[in-house]
Amino acid sequence: MKRRRLAALAAILVLAASGILAAHELGTIRVVARFEKGGRYEIDAIVDRQHLPPGFGAGARIDPRLEPIGNLDPALRARIGPLIGAAIDGVRIAFDGKPARPPVSLVPPEGGAAAAADAPELTLRFSGEVPPGARSFTWSNAVSLGTYMLTIRTEGEEAAARQWVEGPAESAPFTLHAGIAPMSRSEVVRTYLGLGFTHILPKGTDHILFVLGIFLLSIHLRPILLQVTAFTVAHTITLALTIYGVVSLSPRIVEPLIALSIVYVAVENVVTPRLTPWRVALVFGFGLLHGMGFAGVLSQLGLPRTEFLPALLCFNAGVELGQLTVIAIAFLLIGLPFRNRPWYRRRIVVPGSIAIAAVGLFWFVQRILG
Amino acid sequence: MTRRSAAAALLLLAASTAAAHDFWIEPTGFRPEVGSTVGVRLVVGQRFRGEVLPRNPAMIARFDFVTDAGAVPIPGKAADDPAGSFRVDAPGLGVIAYRSLESAVSLEAPKFEEYLKEEGLESVIAARAKRGESAKPSRELFSRSAKSLIQAGGAGDAGFDRVVGLTLELVPEKSPYALGAGGDLPVRLLFMGRPLAGALVAALPYDAPENRIAARTDREGRVTLRPPKAGVWLVKAVHMVPVEDNPAADWRSIWASLTFEIPAPSPARPE
Repeated sequence: MKRRRLAALAAILVLAASGILAAHELGTIRVVARFEKGGRYEIDAIVDRQHLPPGFGAGARIDPRLEPIGNLDPALRARIGPLIGAAIDGVRIAFDGKPARPPVSLVPPEGGAAAAADAPELTLRFSGEVPPGARSFTWSNAVSLGTYMLTIRTEGEEAAARQWVEGPAESAPFTLHAGIAPMSRSEVVRTYLGLGFTHILPKGTDHILFVLGIFLLSIHLRPILLQVTAFTVAHTITLALTIYGVVSLSPRIVEPLIALSIVYVAVENVVTPRLTPWRVALVFGFGLLHGMGFAGVLSQLGLPRTEFLPALLCFNAGVELGQLTVIAIAFLLIGLPFRNRPWYRRRIVVPGSIAIAAVGLFWFVQRILG
Repeated sequence: MTRRSAAAALLLLAASTAAAHDFWIEPTGFRPEVGSTVGVRLVVGQRFRGEVLPRNPAMIARFDFVTDAGAVPIPGKAADDPAGSFRVDAPGLGVIAYRSLESAVSLEAPKFEEYLKEEGLESVIAARAKRGESAKPSRELFSRSAKSLIQAGGAGDAGFDRVVGLTLELVPEKSPYALGAGGDLPVRLLFMGRPLAGALVAALPYDAPENRIAARTDREGRVTLRPPKAGVWLVKAVHMVPVEDNPAADWRSIWASLTFEIPAPSPARPE
């Protein structure tokens, strides 16, 4: 008697320790999807074995498209393979209506994978990457076990999205949050061209003044072209090198030096109307500094992992377009009407450059102190 | 019942397995301020721990807040968690009442009989044996009859014994909010409005659900529980009857629950 009671007690302790919370009312196979920023996802199909219809899965096989199922060793497969097959063969995961085929694994329950043979719940996990540019997610499972709960969690969102899914029908489309799906190539091009452009126009007043300084030196095409080319080549080099982590210079050094570069080109405009040989070299050097400044901004904006180089190139091209636009506007408003006036240099270049130098100097002091 | 068999029965009660799931109401507060909003979570699980059940309009037969002013449906959208919420307009006791429609479930015979034992439904085991169905998988329809007793504005004990008309209903015969720890709490169990005798009624404290107390109802459908401590409690009972109106099922189970809080005694205040 005593021994029997001890055995009963032991059995009770084991049962109590298992502590599994299955929940028929949430659905015999309920689903929890998690989306991470950058596109990784995990979708768990949680099978409440206690409430499967008797004989569920007898004779079923796992669809080859789902194979191999991670953690499912031959011994386990013999025990729960048919059940898994019947439970998830009909699963269809789709982004924008296009089916995805993520790999599947059996999540080992507490007590290790072997415990899955008798666990009251089995969790089968589909893991993959959201395709670039995808906007919506749908889930369906062709197995007919009634209504179940689909819970969707998104990284950075406190509240989960929930919906009841009716038996084999497809879920309502879930609109993926911005930043979950990686951008498509065309989105990357548009986005980063735009980011580069707006970083100059209208946001980059310091870069605008520097470019105006370059423009004011001489109204002729050749000096403008030489300076712009030198500047572009230089900032392209440091933008790339900084983004790839080859060089790095603190913004506390770069930013005051950018202000100083503005002062320099503006002051030289007052001193000489000619393109000195060292001017091109200096503009190249300043271009190196501005490139590091662009890199600082770009790394704050972030670059998509899958489209790194296109994004970098487009940002740089956007910056370039911004600068050319500044020059084009300056040419149309100032150059075209006044370039042939005898007072062009006296009334426009000199006072304009002095004003630019003054602002540059102010920024320099501000950035040194800041 | 001898003392030894009673002890064995209690041990069996503690052995809750995954086949049977309780259902209860967890309001965001059992003692809300007047004017505040109470969220109503529906929870499915075991031993007073579970998973929230988002609102499923297709399963709700009734979901009301009942006070002296009458029964007001608790609003919410499909798939909401909490499943509903309402504003408390007046002080005093109120009952959150939830009744589900029926779901069908089928269990292998061993699992089914195990759960029958857990819930004190040995009479059903005997009936199955008598019919020669002991080895047959179950064909069961189940529904939920859940109540939660809350006290708004920290005052008022009238209405603790309100019968709201659930299929299977636990009715406290004293206000838990006036009980104090260790006091006797008589509870009646009504099935279709009539006292149900011989049913197992169990009570579990939220912060130590393994310390479950249980007793069977007497002829008046009454048990007297003595919750040993303050805190949030779940009282539950299951009743099962043969199905006569549906050839696809053999048994119909109704799961009653009642949640409330026994307030901790407040430190004596100077007069």
